[in-house]
Amino acid sequence: MSLLLKNKEGDKRLLMGNEAIARGAIEAGLAVATGYPGTPSSEIIENLSRISRQAGIYVEWSVNEKVAAEAAAAASFAGLRSLCVMKQNGVNVASDFLLHLAESGTRGGMVLVPCDDPGALSSVNEGDARFFARMLEVPLLEPGDFQEAKDMTRWAFALSEEIRNFVVLRSVTRLSHASGMVSLGKIPRGRTQAQFRHAGALLDPESGPMISCLPGAPQFTHRRQQDKIRTAREIFETSPFNYYEGPRRPEVLIVASSICSLYSREAIAMLGKAGKKCGLLKMGTTWPLPEKFLQKHLSSAEKIVFVEEVLPFLEENVLMLAGRWTRGKGPKSYYGKNSGTLPSYGEMNPDLIAEALGKVLAVRRRPVRPESFAAKAGAFADNAAPRRELTFCPGCPHRASFWSIHSALKLDGREGFVCGDIGCYTLAAFPTGFNSLRTVHSMGSGAGLAGGFGRLRAFGLRQPILAVCGDSTFFHAAVPALINAVHHQADLTMVILDNRGTAMTGFQPHPGLPVNAMQESAPPVEIENICRGIGVETEIRDPFDLKGTRDALLSFLEKKEGARVLILRQACSLSPEKKKKNSFKVRVDENACRGERCGCNRLCTRIFRCPGLYWDNRKQVARIDDVVCAGCGVCASICPAGAILKEDAV
Amino acid sequence: MNIFGPKELMEDVILAGRCTGCGACVDICPYFGSHMGKTAMLFPCTIARGRCFASCPRAEVDLDLLSEKTFGAPYAEVPVGSHRKIFVSRSGARIGNANYQAGGTVSALLSFVLEKGIIDAAVLVDRQEGLPRPRRITEPQEVLSCASSSFAAVPVISELNRAVRDGYRRIGTVATPCQAVAAALIRINPLNEDEFINPLSFIIGLFCTWALDLRSMTALFSGRGLDLRSVIRCDVPPPPAEKFEIVTGGGKHDIPLQEVRDLTSPACAWCPDMTSEFADVSVGMLEGSAGKNILIIRTPFGEEIAEKAREERYIVLDEIPPEQLRNLERAAAAKKRRALLKLKKEGLLNTAGKGKRACFRLRPEILEKLIG
Ligand SMILES: Cc1cc2nc3c(=O)[nH]c(=O)nc-3n(C[C@H](O)[C@H](O)[C@H](O)COP(=O)(O)OP(=O)(O)OC[C@H]3O[C@@H](n4cnc5c(N)ncnc54)[C@H](O)[C@@H]3O)c2cc1C
Ligand code: SF4
Ligand code: SF4
Repeated sequence: MSLLLKNKEGDKRLLMGNEAIARGAIEAGLAVATGYPGTPSSEIIENLSRISRQAGIYVEWSVNEKVAAEAAAAASFAGLRSLCVMKQNGVNVASDFLLHLAESGTRGGMVLVPCDDPGALSSVNEGDARFFARMLEVPLLEPGDFQEAKDMTRWAFALSEEIRNFVVLRSVTRLSHASGMVSLGKIPRGRTQAQFRHAGALLDPESGPMISCLPGAPQFTHRRQQDKIRTAREIFETSPFNYYEGPRRPEVLIVASSICSLYSREAIAMLGKAGKKCGLLKMGTTWPLPEKFLQKHLSSAEKIVFVEEVLPFLEENVLMLAGRWTRGKGPKSYYGKNSGTLPSYGEMNPDLIAEALGKVLAVRRRPVRPESFAAKAGAFADNAAPRRELTFCPGCPHRASFWSIHSALKLDGREGFVCGDIGCYTLAAFPTGFNSLRTVHSMGSGAGLAGGFGRLRAFGLRQPILAVCGDSTFFHAAVPALINAVHHQADLTMVILDNRGTAMTGFQPHPGLPVNAMQESAPPVEIENICRGIGVETEIRDPFDLKGTRDALLSFLEKKEGARVLILRQACSLSPEKKKKNSFKVRVDENACRGERCGCNRLCTRIFRCPGLYWDNRKQVARIDDVVCAGCGVCASICPAGAILKEDAV
Repeated sequence: MNIFGPKELMEDVILAGRCTGCGACVDICPYFGSHMGKTAMLFPCTIARGRCFASCPRAEVDLDLLSEKTFGAPYAEVPVGSHRKIFVSRSGARIGNANYQAGGTVSALLSFVLEKGIIDAAVLVDRQEGLPRPRRITEPQEVLSCASSSFAAVPVISELNRAVRDGYRRIGTVATPCQAVAAALIRINPLNEDEFINPLSFIIGLFCTWALDLRSMTALFSGRGLDLRSVIRCDVPPPPAEKFEIVTGGGKHDIPLQEVRDLTSPACAWCPDMTSEFADVSVGMLEGSAGKNILIIRTPFGEEIAEKAREERYIVLDEIPPEQLRNLERAAAAKKRRALLKLKKEGLLNTAGKGKRACFRLRPEILEKLIG
């Protein structure tokens, strides 16, 4: 049985942060979970989808985060407890709906879990989703460890029901993806009957319609919403998730949230004797801030250091309160990101915190710079592991696709360019994709930007315009942009890199596939039908057919008017159906290899650079690394000497 | 000859607007490709001395050396280039009728060499979907389907390179003057490669004053509502007509010649050769007589082929009237003077010193004569 369903109260188990969140939701009697995949959030929905049948819950990978939030809200309106999960960027997508939802309020407990990625380890930015809580005027919780991840999730549902609004529970990569011991709680029995009660009076929170706004009358819904946040503040004043540890009158008081409370504890220990002068105020409820609680603790020290990832959210909100306290208590010294004591980008770590504390305490410490740490780690890794650049996997269809895209644009010769999007193929901004992408922003923005460029003919823009997006991204946000381009007669060629799944985040299904999150069969929505349905000339090619792909692109680029779609369909080489199943046995004929001589100059190992190929310096020939090669056979069609041979694999 | 690599080829020729699109650098390796008559570098190559540079007709071509190796004499001071004889010609009784540009001499000679097994593949130009493309044939009866001129720059030599890659070693090719220089360069093994075998048996040069940029030509046609696919032939009638004639399935269309000249590939302005001086034989129009050609015989091999083709009635040869010869020389001299003056002005002839690469090299006294 899955750990998430073990019903042994008090059992201690090692859980990953994301599992702990999922478990917390199960212990709260979760009915519906929705989300859109994105690192570091994906395992929450994945874990829930695996137990959906046994737990009697409904789990959905939605087409995008806004739709996920809407689906979760509907469950809440019907009186069920629902969870909605996304990475930080997803909150931007969902925010339009969320701002309305915050005003209409919710019924069954609804918890929104954004997982931030400080340091942008697997993201294109390190947006700090906490600011949304303040803007949306809803409560924000930040678990500080694995036990809290579970317990606060469970509690968040109760809080949501108490104030009748959704609650944001923010995780970060190092909480979501690390593991720790968690003591399990009880799983409730029984199931809530879903029913949307809507016949009551307009503003009746129990049985009225769920309408976000009464135009021109914020005194009703908006004021009601602010009453809720005041209630939350009262509750937070006594929350067990905020607590102090350390001497009664510390010289320095650290105010930390999320995983930074663990780092701070470690930093204090690293400081030894000096550390004894530090106290840690660990905050779990970070919006709205419990003012009285904070005032009490801040008055105990003269120097306050804020430790958090990424932006100074907690810091600035506390300073705002502190502005009111100066009378009587006198001014204090505040250290954090605004003072330059700690950086407001990248991940936090105990070294950084210890160094900052050392400065504030004026104790001499050898500074530990993350750069020097990185240099040390790099030097160590250089000896122990081969150098690796950011690269597509062996057998990746994207390498083949961008080979053709790059070649077509060069041949076309009019300085055409590619507007990129979000997925593994974002790597095509780098040499592994022949530096093809010339713009990269949010999901769907490639098509949107390309559509914008495609309307600049009147201003003399003559360059051919390409957009690329993945299959999941297509459904997520590219469809409206494509429709816009069609309607406004933008000239563009859109390439949909259809690798049959949301590959980057771990093959979550999307509406184009015949299966849903719960592994039930589902009607696939065909990308080509959508494109043709909106009147776009659409072709489908196998990107492993390099010549066919290039020629299709060249003929599309030659056309001057309107939008066109080329679907390059080939499953990801790591996809479950392909993994370990090589199509070809590939080898290099040493005698035929031209190597560095004119006529080749190591095209395969110098330019194509699939990790399955390597240059044998001693023999001066290319070779296949059988362990790495995925057997796609594409390199056989790029070799100008016909020296790379492929045979059907047995 | 001074030979450099793809980096210098890009700088001196492609990026400098001197590339003729001949295709000599295309398909000898994966780095250069051709599309819509234009040559492009697809990926960076770092080789210092490459076949691409070596066979380019616009990069460090030593005309004296090339002449020496092709004709056994330095670059000729006569405007039509080294030659043995000049005739008026047309296709003979052995050859049927076809959509010849003029007398059909080119088609007839190619049919002859293919039929006699003197070559085993021929590279010429055909139309596909209305767009001119190089085409390789191995059967004599295919020659006639490629008759008539497309006035666009076509990467003929890239198809020659592909034929070599596919193992052909007795190839015949049609060639405009820039293409003939490339073909002649390929013949002389400029890199002194050990494995070299001359793959080219027969080069038929075409006269050429200018070639059109294919994209501009396509735009011109479609701008006039002409479907490229329905184009049967194009003609430039002799002066003072000043028009470009297009015959389509739907009838005849005239475009003012100046409009067409404006679409000339910029590379043509650097070209000093009107008569394909480095071919085995060269063929052009005989002014004022539709249905006839001028045939210039340059190499002994070219002479042998022309003689045999005449004996076997593939072609008919007549003496060239002195008036026509003078017109030809005058036109050829004018093109040569124009281009050499421009090249000289830009400092692209006989450069000396480090980092100063030339387009052409030739004996200064001959240069002065040709310009003068
Ligand atoms: C771009 C261009 C410009 C020309 N300019 C002149 C000129 O200014 N004065 C002049 O007297 N003659 C010129 N000619 C040559 C002329 O048009 C005829 O090709 C020549 O007279 C041979 O006639 P023919 O009847 O023997 O040709 P055909 O027997 O009809 O054979 C013509 C051959 O030319 C080949 N060909 C067609 N288009 C091209 C092309 N774009 N590039 C290379 N080969 C091609 C065909 O494959 C065919 O084999 C030019 C030709 C071209 C291609
Ligand atoms: S040097 Fe050789 S391999 Fe490199 S681009 Fe030129 S022909 Fe190709
Ligand atoms: S002129 Fe010919 S060989 Fe030279 S760069 Fe252009 S296509 Fe290549």
